[in-house]
Amino acid sequence: MTHDEMKTLHPRDVANKAPKENLAKSIAMALEIETDAVRLNTQTFNTNRYRAVAKLADYEELKTRARRIKEESIEQLPELIAMLTKSVEARGGHVYLAKTKEEAAAYILNVCTTHRAKLVVKAKSITSEEIGLNEVLEGGGIEVAETDLAEFILQISKEQPSHIVAPAIHRSRERITKLFKEHFTTAEPLATGEELTEFARLILRQKFLSADVGISGANLIAADRGTLLLVESEGNIRLTTQLPAVHCAIAGVEKIIRSKKDFGTFIELLGASGTGQPLTSYTNVLEPPIAVPILNLNGRSDTRREFHLVLVDNGRMTMRGDADLREALYCIRCSACMNVCANFQAVGGHAFGGECYTGGIGGAWTAGTSGSIENARFAELCTGCTRCVPNCPVRIDIPRLNAVLKSRLIELSGGPSLQKLFFGNFAAVGAAASVMPTIVNRLGTLSVAREIMERTIGFDKRRAMPEFAARTLVSQYKAYRSSAEGTTRASDIRGSTGVTRSEQSHLPAEAGRVVLFADVYTNYNNPDVGMATIRVFDRLGIQLTLSRVMAEGRDAQSQGLIAQAAKRARSTAAYLDGLISEGADIIVAEPSVLALFRHDYMSLIGNDERFERLKAHCFDPIEYLERAVASKTIDIVQAFHSDAGAKRRIFFHGHCQMKTIGAGQSAPAFFRAIGFDVTVSVVECCGMAGSFGYKKAYYDLSKNIGRDLAKQIRACDEAGAEADILASGTSCREQIGAEFKGRTVVSPIEYLFALMK
Amino acid sequence: MNPLVMQFKAAAEAAVATVEIIPADAHALCAAVLNAASGDGCIILSEPDDVDPDYFSEIRNASRVVTAPSNEQFKTALTGVTDAFCGIASTGSVCVTMSDHLTSPAGMLTRKHIVALMASAIVARPSDVFAEDTRGRSGSARSFSFITGPSATADMGPLVRGVHGPGAIHIIVLDDSAEEANDDAR
Repeated sequence: MTHDEMKTLHPRDVANKAPKENLAKSIAMALEIETDAVRLNTQTFNTNRYRAVAKLADYEELKTRARRIKEESIEQLPELIAMLTKSVEARGGHVYLAKTKEEAAAYILNVCTTHRAKLVVKAKSITSEEIGLNEVLEGGGIEVAETDLAEFILQISKEQPSHIVAPAIHRSRERITKLFKEHFTTAEPLATGEELTEFARLILRQKFLSADVGISGANLIAADRGTLLLVESEGNIRLTTQLPAVHCAIAGVEKIIRSKKDFGTFIELLGASGTGQPLTSYTNVLEPPIAVPILNLNGRSDTRREFHLVLVDNGRMTMRGDADLREALYCIRCSACMNVCANFQAVGGHAFGGECYTGGIGGAWTAGTSGSIENARFAELCTGCTRCVPNCPVRIDIPRLNAVLKSRLIELSGGPSLQKLFFGNFAAVGAAASVMPTIVNRLGTLSVAREIMERTIGFDKRRAMPEFAARTLVSQYKAYRSSAEGTTRASDIRGSTGVTRSEQSHLPAEAGRVVLFADVYTNYNNPDVGMATIRVFDRLGIQLTLSRVMAEGRDAQSQGLIAQAAKRARSTAAYLDGLISEGADIIVAEPSVLALFRHDYMSLIGNDERFERLKAHCFDPIEYLERAVASKTIDIVQAFHSDAGAKRRIFFHGHCQMKTIGAGQSAPAFFRAIGFDVTVSVVECCGMAGSFGYKKAYYDLSKNIGRDLAKQIRACDEAGAEADILASGTSCREQIGAEFKGRTVVSPIEYLFALMK
Repeated sequence: MNPLVMQFKAAAEAAVATVEIIPADAHALCAAVLNAASGDGCIILSEPDDVDPDYFSEIRNASRVVTAPSNEQFKTALTGVTDAFCGIASTGSVCVTMSDHLTSPAGMLTRKHIVALMASAIVARPSDVFAEDTRGRSGSARSFSFITGPSATADMGPLVRGVHGPGAIHIIVLDDSAEEANDDAR
């Protein structure tokens, strides 16, 4: 797309992501126009969330409780719908269960026309956007006033929401001023947030005072008392639900929980997880019809309050019956998964989203409520970095949901693309390439070859090809162990592919052994990292042996090739569990593989006990050393001069998935302990997220995300002597290295090894 | 004094409410309300739902105070006064009932909301409001709002306070610790 095309492209034109080109166009448009506003707003929410949840002493317990309540509620949904209907009707309210969006909208239109409504005021409701309510009401001759200021903006700009909590997050103050100036005839300067807000307030106050009907959504509904929970900051929900005598609330059936007493758990989680406030300004707990006097400021003479609750199915009960998509029904729409997501921070929901649902969780919702997997194509923007996982208040594994969507998209298109086959079978690629690594590496630098690769598998030619090492880790390890330095026997190689079958079947059952897992990336691409690990451990008196080389499933999982990933995962897990049962601990040098073992295997291997053992016995090299120091098994003062790091500065970038599994702080802590001045990046992800940033379609996005990290490295440099840059992920090092040419970017363990020489 | 009061005050102030603690008596409340009210126009007063109505005896009859506003007064009043049945120490919220009194219009149509809250009605955290028995009162079996600071938005870019709801909230905590002590002694 040209610059001008991007400028004139309307977000609504690319809201539907079923056509593939819409995803590409929307990314280009968002990067051109919306990225600064989205970044500023989401990153502010993100920082505030970390601060707010840190103040919740029982945050993890609250999450566990919220998760349990949602699981139970969805399980018991038919019973709860019946209970809720009784509770509301007992107070004189009406409940309508709409099977489709058409039914839901038609019911509300009927309520409005029955009351001869000319104007309805509406509070923010994504469900109402899902069912296309405004169009239906307007088609019936009724004026609809969106009263949430963000929705007010969108009603003028005719754009779809770009964020689940702050739907106009893509518009800067300047772009709102421009929009208002074009739309309204006014002498007001509208040059500040205050002026814009007051301007909109005055318009909307007139609407509130004359509206006939109020329409709201609901954050949660308690079945036992028919209570609605409505969370807001502006005060428009209060006016919408309390000024007009007639109130319609519209909500998906998944919003129902059994008991009002459980609201407390969700109230605290919602405020903290969403905007990062202890509570938003107004948390409304309504048991309508409410007792508030009818003021009739609208000139009507209504004498009694009327309440209609419209419960929407529109695909939700089908989601409930789908073992994977069911997870999405637990979502409480706090937006944490969007604010923490590096991709979302860069493009927002106009690219990373569909007609109304956005972000990581938006794919499952779009698929479920539209009935079309293709509409959820934006799930491709989930890189599997997993930063949303520990931040979801109801513990939804959103990357897994998106992997499922990707796999269904592949099925739908008749099978995986060449690109998916390449990245999804990187283990096989590595094994083949390692036969003639120099030739393959040379191809990786030939422009003709790169041109072909870009066209066939979409491997961006501006990215350096991951190099294949001249000698694999297995081969280097064998040579090392038979050398004087290596001090041990070659038979210690645990069934690596380089040894005979009989050696593989015979694993020494020796307790207390520590095994380095020979993952394919370390074996074929980064044997230096593996060898550094072995040598550092040797020097510290921990003798590592090498595992078999196994395709563990990371490559397949990241491309949505779930069946293959699960197959590889099951055999790798069985093998590792065998070692662990012999008393071994497993060291994993490649962070994305470690994260696979400690997180993704939970769902991939279908064996909880085995997963828990793997989770407890697989470690990052430095994490393991740090534990050994803590338990006084090794003495770092003896291994390193206590001033090893004196006058040296480190900039450490933590791998996204390492942070999620709780291993992200080990390296900085270890280097600080041996005297280094360590600055740690505060970005969620470098922008590569494994294979994602290598793809041509996402190159610009990946580079755009990388800006934040580069900025932090420069700031670190400016604050003192030039720092040594450490990053544990291969692709993180590619991203940083491309930006800081000539600087060495190494893994923490290699850096540590260099210190020991 | 209830040890939660100071925590409540700090949290409410962090949420950009203003808080004052006064002795629990009608005269002190009247003075505090008039002092906090916006300079212009009438003050819409809602009869309390949970705070003892005796505390409202003086303010009810003060000049500028209206208890049965006209439509025009509803549309233009700058200040509204209500009680709250509960305060939340961890968040600085007050819980205001949507009652058949004027709590809702007084608290949502105006620019400044003044709230009277008994010190003894402050609980530790939001979940406590939903417990079966909130300090012997009718608890949460009603429609109500947790109000935490003034209404606010960031939808127009920067954070702005005062949107559809009041841009200022002033909480007057009636310190009834002496009475509580007497009750306990009895």
